[in-house]
Amino acid sequence: MTSFTIPTLETERLVLRAPRESDFEAEVAFFATDASRFVGGPKKPHETWRLMATLIGHWALRGYGFWGLEDKATSTYLGRVGLWFPHGWYAREIGWTLMPTATGRGYATEAAVAARSYAYETLGWDTAISQIDPANEASKAVASRLGARFEKTYNDPEYGDIEVWRHLSPTDLSQGGMEAYA
Amino acid sequence: MHTANIPVLETQRLVLRGPEAKDYPDFQATFSSYRSRFMGGPLNAYEAWMLYAAEIGHWNIRGFGMWMIHDKDTDETYGMAGGWKPAKWPEAEIAWIIWPDKAGHGYALEATNAARDYYYTHQGWETAVSYLDPKNLDSIRLAERLGATRDTTATTIDGSDAVYRHPSPAELDDSQLAHGIAMEISHYADPLFKPKGWALD
Repeated sequence: MTSFTIPTLETERLVLRAPRESDFEAEVAFFATDASRFVGGPKKPHETWRLMATLIGHWALRGYGFWGLEDKATSTYLGRVGLWFPHGWYAREIGWTLMPTATGRGYATEAAVAARSYAYETLGWDTAISQIDPANEASKAVASRLGARFEKTYNDPEYGDIEVWRHLSPTDLSQGGMEAYA
Repeated sequence: MHTANIPVLETQRLVLRGPEAKDYPDFQATFSSYRSRFMGGPLNAYEAWMLYAAEIGHWNIRGFGMWMIHDKDTDETYGMAGGWKPAKWPEAEIAWIIWPDKAGHGYALEATNAARDYYYTHQGWETAVSYLDPKNLDSIRLAERLGATRDTTATTIDGSDAVYRHPSPAELDDSQLAHGIAMEISHYADPLFKPKGWALD
């Protein structure tokens, strides 16, 4: 019996839980639009389905992956946040993708903090990066709010030129986090 | 908490288990080779990994999927077989792929027959199809040995594939066909016997 478990995390406003098929329609709508251009889109519906299956399988292969993000009060699907390291990836990553209706409220930052804590405290990572499209200013703002710093531009074989942002380490965080860099 | 459980099937020579991280190199080798040309390949290393993860996620979403085929004694892998129904697939499919250097021993027949039996017996499938490239003669021959026949009325995936319809549970139950499949498998398994014709899978 092959089995794997995707844990559920909670933050003040959000629930991070396993991706599920009911998220599919929202993701299809997102990937049908240009809003997905920074995260591998646009995609056709069957390609999006494949991605959803891949998100889940990533948990089985790596022991971590993307969570679906829900509004704790309404259970509305808001997007995804997670820990990502498919084959050939530059380094272990903290990733976030919000549905267009969920942006502008700090959800990505709130969820990414929870994902980062899980990576450092539960999985024992000692560092993490985020790969961000150079034109994705909203995502870079999230990275900045998390205390991450631009490290380099990297030529990803799949995504082309992409910015690597380095997150605060567990030591940085225990020594005062963002204030240490202020 | 969310857990995906993939059952284990045993046949005369094989164990079918969920795909695991340690089996990935075998999968990647085949999907980066020409062998995968009828299954959307060849793929680069990143694409192959993403597909491998999707094979596991498919189980989670659908409750069925593709097993990794292992030798019961040595645990080495021979390929994959099972059920497959990603978005855009009109019906649930029985699918298989055997690593190129493991073909010729009837492993696909043995594994696919067990997978089909599992879905019919334990998941209540009433029918199944296989979407085959018309140029994939090895797979067409295997579909025919499994008793599947061309269904020209069924919806195809994209018009370039041939739909082969598997016999229903009632058509298979205690049939001459089912006994024939069992006999062919047992002949592959027993080195004293050489099956008629030649094994392509």
